[in-house]
Order: sequence, then structure tokens, then C-alpha cells
Amino acid sequence: MKKLILYAVVGGIAFVIGYFVNDQFFSDRAPVQPINFSHKIHAGDNQIPCQYCHIYAERSRVSGVPNVKRCMGCHQIIKTDSPEIQKVASYWDKKEPIPWVKVYNLPDHVYFPHKRHVRAGVDCKNCHGDVASMARIEKVSSLQMGWCLSCHTKREVKNGRDCWTCHK
Amino acid sequence: MKRRDFLKFIGIGGVGAGAGFVLGKVSKPPGAKLIPYLIPPEDIVPGVATWYASVCTLCGAGCGTLVRVMEGRAKKVEGNPGHPVNRGGLCALGQSSVQALYNPDRITKPLKRKGPRGSGEYAEITWDEALKTLAGNLTELKSKNESEKLHLLASPLGGTIDRLAGEFVSAFGSSNYSHYGLFQRKNLAFANLSAMGTASVPHYDIENTKYLLSFGADFASTWVSPVNYSNGYGKMRQGAGERGKLVQVEPRLSLTGASADEWVPAKPGTEALLALAIANTIVEKGLARDASAWRGVLSRYKAKDAASVCDVSVERIEAMAVEFARTRPSLAIAGDSVSSYENGVSGAIAVNILNQVAGNIGIIGGVMPNGDDLGNGKKIDFGRKISTLISAANAGKIKTLIVYGANPVFTTPKAARLEEALSKVPFIASFSSFMDETTAHADIILPAHTSLEDWGDDFPDPGVAAPVASLIQPVVGPVFDTKSLGDIFIELAKAVGGNVAGKINAPNFAEYLKASWKGLYSRNREMAAGTLGFEDFWNKALQRGGWWGPSRKRTATVSARAGEHLAGTPARFEGEEAQYPFYLIPYAQTAYMDGRGANLPWLQELPDPMTSVVWGTWVEINPKTAASLGLKEGDMVNIESPFGKISAPVYLYPGIRPDTVAVPIGQGHSHYGRYAKGRGANPIEILPFKEDPLSGEAALNSTRVRITRGATGERMVKMEGSTKELGRGIVQTVSPSEFKRMKKEVV
Repeated sequence: MKKLILYAVVGGIAFVIGYFVNDQFFSDRAPVQPINFSHKIHAGDNQIPCQYCHIYAERSRVSGVPNVKRCMGCHQIIKTDSPEIQKVASYWDKKEPIPWVKVYNLPDHVYFPHKRHVRAGVDCKNCHGDVASMARIEKVSSLQMGWCLSCHTKREVKNGRDCWTCHK
Repeated sequence: MKRRDFLKFIGIGGVGAGAGFVLGKVSKPPGAKLIPYLIPPEDIVPGVATWYASVCTLCGAGCGTLVRVMEGRAKKVEGNPGHPVNRGGLCALGQSSVQALYNPDRITKPLKRKGPRGSGEYAEITWDEALKTLAGNLTELKSKNESEKLHLLASPLGGTIDRLAGEFVSAFGSSNYSHYGLFQRKNLAFANLSAMGTASVPHYDIENTKYLLSFGADFASTWVSPVNYSNGYGKMRQGAGERGKLVQVEPRLSLTGASADEWVPAKPGTEALLALAIANTIVEKGLARDASAWRGVLSRYKAKDAASVCDVSVERIEAMAVEFARTRPSLAIAGDSVSSYENGVSGAIAVNILNQVAGNIGIIGGVMPNGDDLGNGKKIDFGRKISTLISAANAGKIKTLIVYGANPVFTTPKAARLEEALSKVPFIASFSSFMDETTAHADIILPAHTSLEDWGDDFPDPGVAAPVASLIQPVVGPVFDTKSLGDIFIELAKAVGGNVAGKINAPNFAEYLKASWKGLYSRNREMAAGTLGFEDFWNKALQRGGWWGPSRKRTATVSARAGEHLAGTPARFEGEEAQYPFYLIPYAQTAYMDGRGANLPWLQELPDPMTSVVWGTWVEINPKTAASLGLKEGDMVNIESPFGKISAPVYLYPGIRPDTVAVPIGQGHSHYGRYAKGRGANPIEILPFKEDPLSGEAALNSTRVRITRGATGERMVKMEGSTKELGRGIVQTVSPSEFKRMKKEVV
């Protein structure tokens, strides 16, 4: 009997370790996107401001994925010989949106507005990391509640630790 | 540690870690996609809601709504706080209108019948083919000089769409355009026509009355304009000034009855006599304010005679009479327990006389006649009844029948033999968005938009003692391949050609509606006030949800001619008392209304406010009666009338007379989508086919039934464990005076 409990405890601990190994080291933090889009070239080398493409960040809950027309606005002329740009153009010709893979995902029970954070002067980098140096976008924050709260506490956000601020 | 044990631990550890790893992998959400717009619409910001003002069309009340739309999807419907009918409130039916829009059982494309009639087997066709087929049929009718054999049967529509439909039928050369629906309250309209000259339900000023005597008007739940009345009722009870009193006369305690101060369960069918006896007592006691025309008529209705007939004591009648006459202002409403009978008009007239005697007509807190029709309100043609349609069909006078909104196959008794009559109509077209029982008989279906996708307008009836014109606008693009109801008529007119196309020459219904409002704008000078021309007015009306003017109080007197149709006898019930011992009261349930709400799952799972039953039909029986029949709660019983039999589980309800049973209307659909089909029973099936001969309103309270034990089957699902509070003090109460004292102490 004693042994059985011991087995269960060992198995259980191993189970938890396995789960976290997967979560911490095998998560797709930088998923392959349908187009090999580089933030390094756009935001880094060419210094395009974030909100030039993510146009809703200041006005809405979501920052907004750039619409295909916006991509084509420049790329009708710029680098049309690149095979990746030709992929964008083919989506545009087919009148299909580009199915980007989501990197930052919040569960439905969390209310997160980009608007309030941008207006409070939080730099995009604070949560999204140094995007200007990323060839492929990579998740750098856990987006877990403790992570949110540590910042809310540090910045002394009004009602920043209230449940209803985010869970509503 | 032994080597053997060590290996075991390694093994278990490995399996555990592997399992944990796999769970970690599969429990992660699959890679969600971020789909951008190809070209962003200018007026949409993703994540930011847009609110559009419109009107709820799920019942005839005409409540203003605000619809929350995000990224082109309607997410939530709320009441429009600025609208004079509902002042921000919205009932469960209106809240569920998004479920009508996105309903999985909507008719998504035009359909052509494949199987036999009534089977519901259809093949999809294009709009071109559908319009051509129907237009071809109409052209043939016209060429044979049989234009008069086109019938259009619609739900009680109002406003511009009603005018367009009427224009279409008359331009075609037919005079057969009729409205049909349960709970049209045509009896009240008829009584009001003979009494006050307008064929509409008057405005009952519940808000300002101090003594409300309601004859079975379940205004807190379904009656006429429930959101408006509930709002008024709240102000009457808890607003400024003295708390008003509510007395409810009805055999079955409704939601409104449950919040009344007094419940008077008079014998079914005799409530009108009770009203007359109260009126006579007022006259006899010298408390009448205006009895000149009625003294003679009323002298026949003595309280002591009425007491035994109505099963209400003389003392109680006298007490009610005195209180009704002395409390100022007081108001009596002719609800379903005087008007749902074969002589319902007479019952409504009796209540009119009672109001007149007590001096309640045309005063604040009394009955305010409507007279503020802006020109597009609902018009009731009392000559057009469902019975006339049935006999016309049987006589071969209908060659083509177009149905919209009405579902008479569900809402007329089997005794009416409507399905048999429909089988004699060679061609039936339906414009319904849902496969209801009547649409299932159609040869061709041209599905119209739901109200969240369509244009329209509404002129609330009853009004709110103020002129009101509301606008319905599409808040989302069409979800399926359906068309605007108005556009169907317009395109059909074009396809038929000739003078029909000449008469209706608008490019589309949106333009037709705008032109109609232009006329309204130029006819009513008050509408133009404060606007810079029509375009400005139109845009403001779209933004606000319509136009409404200041309240206009009107006065009137009941004309002596009102008494012409007063029957003064108890209503008749089919079936001998010895064989069929119980009165049957089928009633409009809060969520399903006349059955239209049954296909919306939110409404199915909404517990009935009085019984807490969900997803089914039940029969309400007094516990004493049930004990004498040896029945307990949940037992299946057969409810049998001389005209048929249905079965339902028993709900023990102390709020019903022992000689009466009640069944909610709304379930028992044979079609109408996955949520409605094959659920519960329809009490209308077992009613005799009776309507008030004057108004044509269906007489729902018109038969007796017997109750026998049925086969076991359906289980009744209800939310309540017990109807008793068992001394747990669930609702804590204090008297008003005590409350005032407590408030002072706190402050």
C-alpha cells in the first residue's frame, strides 16, 4: 500500500514536470506564418512606426492586423520581384485575406484593451519585446495574470488590482 | 532500494512525464488565425461596437431597440431609452431577436416543393426562378380574368410595408388582402370603435392611475404592449405619490395577477357580468359620475344576482364598486378574461361602460383614446376573418395564396379544417424566413429578411397618447440569400408587368420607404419643426430610431351606441359539464406568445415566470382537483375536449380555480425548426372553431375538457424544487412606514 502511494507520487510529480517542459520549452512561441514577414525590415531597418500598420491600437480593444490593401499600398511598387511579396500579391489578386497565425492569445474571460495601454503611454515593447529586431515575430511575455499584475502594481494603476478591471 | 524498484520508479516517472507532456500539447488552443480585412470598411473599427436604432417586430407593440453591432455582426439587442413606447426596456422575446437572425433553421434560399404538401421537402432554386415562377402563376391568373382569386394573408403588419402589400394586391386587381394572428385584440378595437369612434386599442394610462381593475390583462407579460405597461405599472406602484392598487379578475393567476393586491377568480365566462354588476352598484350607491345613458341598461345587473353566477360574494362586489368609484383616478382594463370569449366584444363594451360610469374616459390615469394616427397605422378590417378565408378556399375562390408572417395552420383549431381548405388552393407561396406549419404547405418559398436585416417603419398601436413614427433599418447585411420583404413585392410587380409594375415603380423598398416618409414629413407640420429639410429629418430619425411628438391628452365620451352589442349573458363553453367538468383556459405564455418564440432556444430555456417549467408544455391544475383525480405533479394526463385530445404533464397550481385547467400556448409544433419541432402540445388544436362574430377575433376560452390519466412519457423539467418557501425567509419584507423610518435612521 505504502509503495502504491509512492508510485502515485512519483508518477504525479513526473506528470507535472512533463507538462511544464512542454509548456516552457516546446510551445510554438514563434509560429511559421503564411508569409515570411519580417518586422526587422519594416520596424527595424525602415523605422516604420507600429501604428502605421496596426491602425486601431489607439482607438480600439484590438490593435488590428494590417488589411491586405495596406500591404499592397506600398508593395505595388516596392520589391515586387521578391517571392514573398508575390505571395502577398497573389492573395490580393484572389481577393483573399492573409491567414496570419496568432502569436499572442488571450482567453475570452480576460478583457484587454490596447487603447487604454497605448493611451497610458505604455510602449509596445513592454509587452511585445524588441519587435524591431525580430525577423519572425516571437512571443516574449507569458500573458499570465501574475505578469499583468506585476506591471499594474509597479505602475500603480488605479483599480489595477481589482478583479473587475480585467474580468468583466 | 532494490534494483527492481528503481526500474519501476523510472518506468512510472517516464510514463507520467510523457502523459503530462502530451496533455500539455493537446490542451493548448489550436493555432488561432488572425484574419485581416482585405479592404477595411471605413465606418468599422474592429473591437469597437456600433449601435443602430431600430424597432423590434417580434410582437405588435413596436418597442424601440438599439442593436449592438461589431464587425458587421449583430451581437445584442437592447431597448432604446429614448423611445416613448418602451423607454429603454425590452422583453425576452425582443432580446432573442438575434437568435432569429442567426437561427440555424432559417430558410436560406428560395425553395420549390419536392414532396407532397405539408411534408416540408423542398429543393433549392435561384431568386430568378422563384420570382419567375410566382410571376408566371400571377400572370396566368390575370390572363384568365381571375385576378380576384389572388389572396394575400399577412400577420398584422402596419406602416409602409402594409401599404405596399395592399397596393400590390389592389393593382393586381384583387381586393383580398387580410391580416391574421392570435391576440390581435380586435374585440377591444371593435368595442372602442362603437364607443369612441376609433378602431384601435386605447392608451391605458396605468402609470397615473391609483386603482387598476384588470380583467385578465396579463400586461406584465404578454398583453398588447407589455414593456410599456410594465414601465407604467412600476411607476404606479413605486413612483412619486401614493401607491396605486391593482385588482386582477381572472380564473388563472397570471404573472400580473401574482403581483396584484387582490385576485378575484370569477367563474370563467361571467367576468363581463361582474363588470356590469360593479357598474350597477356604483350607480345604485349614487357614486356614478356619468351614468345618464346606462342607468336603464345597468339596472338589470344586480350585485346579488351576479354574485351567484360569477362566484364572487356580494360584499366583495360592493367593496370593489365603492373603491373603484371613490379612488381617483381609477381604471378598468378589458383583458383576456372578458374578451377571449365568443362574445368578447360584448365583454370589452361592458368594461368601457364601467369606465364611463366611474368617469375614467379621457382623463389622466384613465382611458385615453388614440387619435394621433400619423396616417400609416394598422387598420383593422373586421370583415376579413380566417373563417371567411377558409370558406373562400373551400368554394374554390382562391387560386393563389401568398402568406407572410401569419401561421394559421398552427393557430387555428383542428375543427376549422384549415389544412383541408388549403389543399383546395392550387398554388401557395410563402415569404416566411422559417419553415412554420403554414409555410410547409407552400409550393414555393421566397424567404424574406428578418427585421434586423430589413427596412421598415412602425406606428405603435396602441399609441402612447403621443404621435409616434419609428424606423426599422438594416443593422447587418443579409446573413443568407434572402430578400427584403418590400423588395420581393417590388420585383414581383416588375415581373408581372402591366399596370402592377406601373403602380409600384420604386427602384427598391428603401427608396419606397423614404418616399413614404417624405409624404409623412410634408403632411405633418410638427415633424418638420427644428429640421433643415427632409434629408436632415430623415438622418435624425434614423439616428434616434424615429420621430415622436409631445404627448397629447385627448378626451372623449362613450357614445350611447356603444351598448348596442352588449350581450349581457355568460359566455358559452362547448361540452356538457357532466362529461367535461373543467373549463380550459389556453393562455399566451411570456416567451412563446402565439408560438412564434418556440424556435428560439433562449426562450425555450427561459423558465416560465409562474411555474419555472422549461422546454415543454404543462397543464395547470388546482392541487385540490388533482387530489380528487388522484394525480400528482408531473403525471401525464390527457386533456380531452369534444374536438380532440392532447397530453401534457400536470403542474399543481394553487392559483387556479378548482373547476378550471390552463395550458400555455406555443409548443406542439410539427415544423418550425429543431428547437420547436415535436416538443409539447398545442392546446389550440382541441378548441372549437369559434370567433367573435363582430370582430373576428379567435375565442380561445370556449370549451370544457375532461382530464384522464395518460400514458407515461414526457418528463416535466422545471427549475423550482418546491413552490413553498418553508419558513426560510427567502424574501425579506418590511412595511412601507417601517422602511421610511429605517431610511431616516440610516441617513
